[in-house]
Amino acid sequence: MKRNVIVVAVVVFLLVVLGLAGWANWQNRKQMLAAQQAHQSQAVLIADSGTGSNAIGHLSSPLVGKPAPNFTLTNLKGEKVSLASYKGKAVQLNFWATWCAPCKIETPWLIELEKQYQPQGFEILGISFDDLDRDDPKLFAKDKAEIARSVAQLKIPYPVLLDGDSIAKPYGDSDVYPTSFFVNRSGTIVAASFGLTSKEDLEDNIRKALEEGK
Amino acid sequence: MRLAAAGVLALALGIGQTSFQPGSHPRPAAVSYLFPEQVTVPADKPAAVDLHFTVAPGLHINSHTPHARELVPTTLKFPETGAVRLAGVSYPAGSDFTFDLDPTEKLSVYTGEFILHAQMVAAPGAHLVEATLRYQACDNQTCMPPRSVPVTIDVIAK
Repeated sequence: MKRNVIVVAVVVFLLVVLGLAGWANWQNRKQMLAAQQAHQSQAVLIADSGTGSNAIGHLSSPLVGKPAPNFTLTNLKGEKVSLASYKGKAVQLNFWATWCAPCKIETPWLIELEKQYQPQGFEILGISFDDLDRDDPKLFAKDKAEIARSVAQLKIPYPVLLDGDSIAKPYGDSDVYPTSFFVNRSGTIVAASFGLTSKEDLEDNIRKALEEGK
Repeated sequence: MRLAAAGVLALALGIGQTSFQPGSHPRPAAVSYLFPEQVTVPADKPAAVDLHFTVAPGLHINSHTPHARELVPTTLKFPETGAVRLAGVSYPAGSDFTFDLDPTEKLSVYTGEFILHAQMVAAPGAHLVEATLRYQACDNQTCMPPRSVPVTIDVIAK
């Protein structure tokens, strides 16, 4: 009788240990899969293929060559704007924030470039990454007013959408500003730029978006 | 030059390093609190304490008085409820910084090591103050979102 109890106890103990080991293994696999998925859309620092002292480095996105993740955000007028509605046009998604000084430097270039290439079917969507206090309507209105003030000050004519943070993950969560994704007419990301580049670099990427996916 | 600049920020953000695990927030801070970890001050009287911070190489943060209202000022905050009250802070003046691509716009920034002169009033006893320094960092091409770095001080008031 006593021996049976011991045997049963040992078997139960072994089953518990095996169960715990299986659960830990499953958790580990789940974490690894999540990390792998996040890594697939994470921006990484790479050097351009050019060699020599003039080689320019950049942060590259593995999203290049892939369909641009769709989103629906709200503009400053409170209207919903969806990326899908821009299909057939080349689009630059410009991630910026009012506190980002380099973003302010490139804004006049963006305005000029949009004006120049709009007749060919090019549009810019400015996506603000400023914090929005959604829990407090008064603070939310204040946050929105601050963004609108900056938009007016910078004379931005293209739509500026709010709450960029909500789409940060599918776009690689790079956390550096300014960031731009260039989407061709078929909805594929053909180029990405991280940080302040030059007007020429931006123009090259716009042309790429206009030319590819016709 | 651009590679170096992007590299500095990428390193500060933890991007592109083999050790970086996506989603393993918080990423390395652009600003670190150096010292003091412990201070002894007279109880119930304003006491001056110098707080030392450092900004990661290649980065800058806005000073407490940036030149534009939309820029995020560096600000020290103490918990609103607690036995230690922040009576005042004297922030250092920022140094001028301009971006290569727009030399016309000057920013007021802190780089390297900087010191805040804080005035604190503490009730008698030993208190662990968990303050924060809010800042917003950039390099010469990119900016990171505003962040807060913990400032933890063991305050002994006698």
